[in-house]
Amino acid sequence: MATSQEILDALADYQVQCNGNKRLRKMQRDWSKLLHFVADDTGDTFTMNVVNGEIISFGPGAEGAPDIIVSTTSEDLCNMFWGDLNPSQKYLQGEIRVKATQEDVVRLDAITMIIWPDA
Amino acid sequence: MEQDSEKIKQQALSDFAKYIGPMKVRTMKAAGLDIIEDKRDGASVWDITGKKYIDCQTGSGIMNVGRHNREIVDILKTALDKYDIGVFLLCSKPKADLAKMLAGITPGNLQCTIFGVGGGEANDAAIKIARGFTMKKEIIYTEKAYHGHTGFALSAIGRTAYKEPFEPLMPGFRMVPFGDIEALKKAVTKDTAAVILEPIQGEGGINVPPDDYLPAVRKVCDENETLLIFDEVQTGFGRTGKMFASEHWGVVPDIMTVAKSLGGGLYPISATIFTEEIQDFFIPHPFIHLSTFGGSDLGCIVGMAVIDYIRKNDLPAHAMEMGKRFRGGFDRLTKDFPALLLEVRQKGLMMGLQYTNESIGPRLTKKMAERGVIAIYTGNDPSICRLMPPLVITPEEVDYVLNALEDSMKELSKEAGLGKND
Repeated sequence: MATSQEILDALADYQVQCNGNKRLRKMQRDWSKLLHFVADDTGDTFTMNVVNGEIISFGPGAEGAPDIIVSTTSEDLCNMFWGDLNPSQKYLQGEIRVKATQEDVVRLDAITMIIWPDA
Repeated sequence: MEQDSEKIKQQALSDFAKYIGPMKVRTMKAAGLDIIEDKRDGASVWDITGKKYIDCQTGSGIMNVGRHNREIVDILKTALDKYDIGVFLLCSKPKADLAKMLAGITPGNLQCTIFGVGGGEANDAAIKIARGFTMKKEIIYTEKAYHGHTGFALSAIGRTAYKEPFEPLMPGFRMVPFGDIEALKKAVTKDTAAVILEPIQGEGGINVPPDDYLPAVRKVCDENETLLIFDEVQTGFGRTGKMFASEHWGVVPDIMTVAKSLGGGLYPISATIFTEEIQDFFIPHPFIHLSTFGGSDLGCIVGMAVIDYIRKNDLPAHAMEMGKRFRGGFDRLTKDFPALLLEVRQKGLMMGLQYTNESIGPRLTKKMAERGVIAIYTGNDPSICRLMPPLVITPEEVDYVLNALEDSMKELSKEAGLGKND
């Protein structure tokens, strides 16, 4: 189980990775979404705001009307943001659940591939 | 030997990722479909490592006559000794023969053909003809429709994600819900050149319209002097238990497009077939729509062999029979796994399984691949699995697919994340 603070630390690193990756920023420049992340086991929620491919903010709580909701355990959320697990695999095992359009699911996978090509 | 084939496979996947596209390889790997096709026969295909799969995807209905149909391969081989693709500006006997054959098997007074290479090109041609012939501009298409990724056809696709990055598209296109005759009545005006639709939507999720829909569409078109285009690219050539799906409702379009299975999975060819009256548009414009590779001599020879094979083996009747066998199994599974399987939509061997939520499609695709069945969720909606096996599938192979589906569902039922509306 991961604490809310551990997930926020992982999210901070994820933001640095994403925003610092020029290829990813260019690729995602037409993508603006509000994402909610839900830790099933602890009930913690997090909001991330992506505007034109840049993560402009993230924080605790479920703010606004999300385009995408990602739910899993707190530990998997943490590991996902650190790049320690392959979210596609977990998604196909039903351990990560994504409520989003099919296009957005592919986008999320594409982000993972660019940041962690070996994950 | 096994090690060698695994090495060849990994190199092919790596080269594909590098030189064609990494996301495709990643997606296929995740879905357990990182298959490098090797031997193909009947309803089956073998991965280069030797694993056998029953192919229920078939390029969305290309292989009605089966994978690598030996009879047609032999006809193509013989043709290659004499023919090449031919010069598209010249008249050709294989072209004339196939066009005559198509006029013979299509319903009503569909008589004249323009050949192309793929379904998108055939639909592009249909829309061009409709505008040219009627001198009207509006085209009505349906939500979730799929007509191909080329210019006019792309404008008639009912899925925003395929179109948005390429806007602005062709002007004058208007979308209505599929199966809703009142919406169509409101949309069609005296300025409407054509209504284009698939008699049964494929990519949209195997959507079979209400029985009174297509006859009513025909009536609306007639009242407004609007042409009716049926895209039978996926539904044609016996797939639904009739040679063409529109025959289930006895409705004859003004223009019909066919592709995919016409080439037998061996040689790409498509056709836009229309009435003699519409042919009048081409009398003063004989060279207004050309296709270098469309209706090549070799493609036409394959097309004729495919039609002969379908008729000789009465594949529409076989599709109907195997469809019933599938249906028996699906009905049982719907009863046994209500948390997974919501409903079945089907005509012959054009089959769609509506799952209870979107996470199930990708997960069942993977489990089916592990059990040697290629059965993939639709691009439009991952909560729907489209099954379009070759029409030559045997009863034993149908049972194998059903057993694999049952095993996969049993396993999935034990896993996490199956709450409705996840």
